[in-house]
Amino acid sequence: MLPEQHDILFSFLAIAFALFGIYVFINVIQTSREREGINIKLWGGIFGAFAIGCFLMTVHMFDLVQADQLKFFFSTYILVVFMMLFFWGVFFKSNKIEGQSPPIIRGFFFWTTVSVLLAGYTNWLPQQRSDPPPKAAAVVGDLTMEEFADMGRVIIFGAKQVAGQKSIGKGQCPLCHTFDPGDNMGRCPNLFGVEERSHKRVKEDRYATSPMAIGELEPASGITKGKPAEIPEEYRRQHGPDELVGEDYLRESLMCPTCYVVEGFGKDNDTKSPMPVIVKPPISLSRVEVNAVVAYLQSKDTPGEFASVTVPLPQDDAGNTGGAVAEAPADDEDRPVFVTGKEDIQAMINTLGCPLCHTIPGVEGAVGELGPKLHEKINAPKRIKDPNYKGKATNTREYVRESILNPGAYVVFNEEAGESFPDGLMPTTFSEMLSVQALDKLVDFISQTEPPAGS
Amino acid sequence: MLGKNKRSIATFSLGLILAMAIYLVPGMTSDAIAKEVFAEQVFAEEAFAKEVMAEEAVEGEGEAEIEWGQDVFYKDWEGNPLKGPVSGFPAPELGESDYNNYEFAPSRMLLWVANQQHLYFGSFVLAVPIFCMIIEFIGIRTKEEDPVMSAKYDRLAHDLMKVSLTAYSWTAILGGILLFTFITLFPGFFKYMAGIFRPVMHVYALMFLAESGVLYVYYYGWDRMSEDKFLKWIHCSLSVLLNLIGTVLMYLANSWATFMQAPGGIDSQGRFLGNIWHVIHSTLWNPVGVHRILGNIVFGGGIVGAYAAYHYLTAKTEEERAHYDWVCYVAMFIAIFGLIPLPFAGYWLMKEVYAFRQQMGITLMGGIMAWLFIIQAVMIGLLFFGANSYLHNGMSRVKGSHRYMKYCKYMILLLICTFTMWMTPHTIVMTPAELKAMGGAQHPVIGHFGVMSAKNTAVNLMITTTILCFLLYQKANKKINVPWATVGNCWISAIFVGAALNIIFLGVYGYFLPANQRVGLSVPQVTTTLTTLFAGTAINISMFKDSESYGDIQWGTQSKVGTYAIFLLAISFTWLMGLMGYIRSAVRLFWHVTEVVRDNSVDAYTLTIGEAGKMLTFNTLFVWTQFVVVFWVGSLTGKKAVAKAPEGVPVPAQQQQ
Repeated sequence: MLPEQHDILFSFLAIAFALFGIYVFINVIQTSREREGINIKLWGGIFGAFAIGCFLMTVHMFDLVQADQLKFFFSTYILVVFMMLFFWGVFFKSNKIEGQSPPIIRGFFFWTTVSVLLAGYTNWLPQQRSDPPPKAAAVVGDLTMEEFADMGRVIIFGAKQVAGQKSIGKGQCPLCHTFDPGDNMGRCPNLFGVEERSHKRVKEDRYATSPMAIGELEPASGITKGKPAEIPEEYRRQHGPDELVGEDYLRESLMCPTCYVVEGFGKDNDTKSPMPVIVKPPISLSRVEVNAVVAYLQSKDTPGEFASVTVPLPQDDAGNTGGAVAEAPADDEDRPVFVTGKEDIQAMINTLGCPLCHTIPGVEGAVGELGPKLHEKINAPKRIKDPNYKGKATNTREYVRESILNPGAYVVFNEEAGESFPDGLMPTTFSEMLSVQALDKLVDFISQTEPPAGS
Repeated sequence: MLGKNKRSIATFSLGLILAMAIYLVPGMTSDAIAKEVFAEQVFAEEAFAKEVMAEEAVEGEGEAEIEWGQDVFYKDWEGNPLKGPVSGFPAPELGESDYNNYEFAPSRMLLWVANQQHLYFGSFVLAVPIFCMIIEFIGIRTKEEDPVMSAKYDRLAHDLMKVSLTAYSWTAILGGILLFTFITLFPGFFKYMAGIFRPVMHVYALMFLAESGVLYVYYYGWDRMSEDKFLKWIHCSLSVLLNLIGTVLMYLANSWATFMQAPGGIDSQGRFLGNIWHVIHSTLWNPVGVHRILGNIVFGGGIVGAYAAYHYLTAKTEEERAHYDWVCYVAMFIAIFGLIPLPFAGYWLMKEVYAFRQQMGITLMGGIMAWLFIIQAVMIGLLFFGANSYLHNGMSRVKGSHRYMKYCKYMILLLICTFTMWMTPHTIVMTPAELKAMGGAQHPVIGHFGVMSAKNTAVNLMITTTILCFLLYQKANKKINVPWATVGNCWISAIFVGAALNIIFLGVYGYFLPANQRVGLSVPQVTTTLTTLFAGTAINISMFKDSESYGDIQWGTQSKVGTYAIFLLAISFTWLMGLMGYIRSAVRLFWHVTEVVRDNSVDAYTLTIGEAGKMLTFNTLFVWTQFVVVFWVGSLTGKKAVAKAPEGVPVPAQQQQ
């Protein structure tokens, strides 16, 4: 309920007590008429007054808003109801009547008391309201660093933070992290003093090797550890030294939590972080949001002081600091790769990611070494004749097609390494990424690949 | 236990187990079966997709006419998202015009009330036919042996159905109100849901028609079909059919809620991918279904118990009092029977939630919802207190119980200690000053009770104590005559003492293990508790052979405290049901459909615990006000003469030897 609205529970109780007042009045009148010697006018007058009083107080409850209703209910209404119960008891006692309150009334009070006590218990506990995160990091107008860091705070804790209450924002960080000195809930590290630690951590021996060495790719996030220059461009640090700095550590911790796991907080002997990659669903922070969080983390322990913040303020397209930032729509990010065949062969091969693993003559930048070099014009016929070949191809085109759609049909021997190329490394999903036309085009091209002249 | 002789307890227990099996087995096994079927289905779908794509490529010169989307949940056997033809529109980006509201209350609260009231009544009307099916079955089975008792069972089932009939119409009205609330206050969201679930909604409506038809034939044909033995069996079969249709109805309606919480069958833009079964059978569908069936049984038992307890208090004759005292016992027996497996269904549901999104699981168990689980713990403690109080008070009306009554106070002491441990929180929100004063987020002493090791120990001891209490209740009026009585008692004592020591040992041992290993200790602890239940009950019942009775249960002499304990259980069930429903629904946070349709209304925030608590209390009081009205309306149809009970009162089997 909003503060300016009625409280649904206490409005309901007020109505219930008004009906109860009428019931008691009728009960007293009926009892008085059935028995002789009872002063019906006196008791009727008293309980009539209570009934009218309850009715008027109920009407008054609807003139009040939530907080006032609560105050009025407990300070006035409930006292009147207790007085009515007391007089009801006096009425029965003075007329030597026993057992006049039927079980429905006793049941009602029992029911109401237990239920209201439960509601009271929930109100006694710490109150924590969570607001939805802002829909997009719309940065409008000039921003100061203080405002930018505050934007980070909102991402972490939510827009409305009430004193003494804990809330959780879009980043959902307080689910597991704590931020005050000495606080620890045991799930993830306390982030008090994280700015200072960030500078030291990147120089620690443990950081360089655990759980992976600097320069290694962390597959879940796609981030190469300790290489700020290799962070996806849209998130990359835009200025500063080439070596690792505290800002890089903070950004990396958000974008690749498993790149470094604080001792005692990881899974599988601290080799895997339980934290989600913050730039991927369901949290999906944008560049501006990640920077805002970093700005907050760098400045939170020194209120009012922003000298330690190294992230830049957001810029608009013209490069103006603090201008409106238009976030690129993220719609395409998760769209599956698909080539139709209308693209030129270079674009097709790049889209499919072949150059990451293969060296392909005629394709610029295709110098990968994880898989065999694609010299299929001369290699394919040899492989078909290989006794180890178990596929179904009878010519080069068929072999190339089979290798694309079913890479496991024949695993090429790497003569330089003295062992086969790793089986299972090549994706088996190309059938889903290629139209028939695209597959034909690719097969045509790869079937004609041969070592460059003179090599 | 419930009737005149041993056969009745066996029949009743068998009936309950059969009923459970009918309801649970399909739900529990469907996962395993579904996986096999799913693999074949996925293969066929993928093959079809490729074929269509290839055809399109050839026919349309590579231009795909049908767009293919990736499922947000379903995956193929290689772990890649399953593809399906896009068959619907993307989820709308809801704006101001998609929400309406009244000035006096937020739309979200109104919808909550409408939803919760409908669910409460739905739960009741689904539960009552289950009871009626079992009770009528027992009545038929005992007809030749004990016609009076049989008539009594039959009348009880009929009376329950009479109440349920009024409640059924009420449920339908509340359903209509819920539908209109959705359409008028959340039109944008409802349009999307209707687009996805269009056929399901129509099937639901038709099933409702079938449910109504069977229900009316079942109720109004009661007397006529009782005249002939064969027709009576047909009548009893109708109750099975009624329950089956009711279960299908519930499962269909569940699919809307489970889709909202953990969607499947759509792509990331919310577009329907052409397979309605995927949309219905999203990941939480089965656990929620099983959990709700059990919850319905417990809640229904609570309502019938409270109904009988109220009539017990208002009864004017000894006979009536004895009858309703007995009905209270039957209802409580059913409720507790449903309550025991309920936590396991809850664990299954939580496991699936974690599997869907770990983030969602953490939000529930360790995030903004965590305090609500502490409240749940308190409620469970309340249930144990209520159940034990009922048994202790019930024992007092059994002749011969004085031998065991002296142990009750120790059991209560143990319950209080374990309950205190059970509800000690791990951490609470504190000001820095409070934090400093306490020397950390955990209290140096009682902070140790906040971890799972202590809590598992506490709750298992509570359950074990309740089981012990039940065994003592069973043997309260018996003089054991089997030659191995001493050995049997020693075994029971050894089982319970051993179980308590084992549970405590495992709890203490947990403190010396890392958290991830500690979790595993809950399995042997629960196994120990279940061993006391099954082994203890088996030995106990075996000892009743040739036993002598100190006297019958004095039905109709239930103390008022015991009667109010039933009220307490009924309130607790109602409040707890609302609480858990709120948790399940609110964990979506600011999403109508998790990660697909965002809630852009002004009410998209997550309530404070206090606000939620007040709503739960309101819903509890409001629904019980309606139940009172419904029961009153049900009583207007005229009271039939109560079948004469044997010697005025039915007597539980194990107390008659």
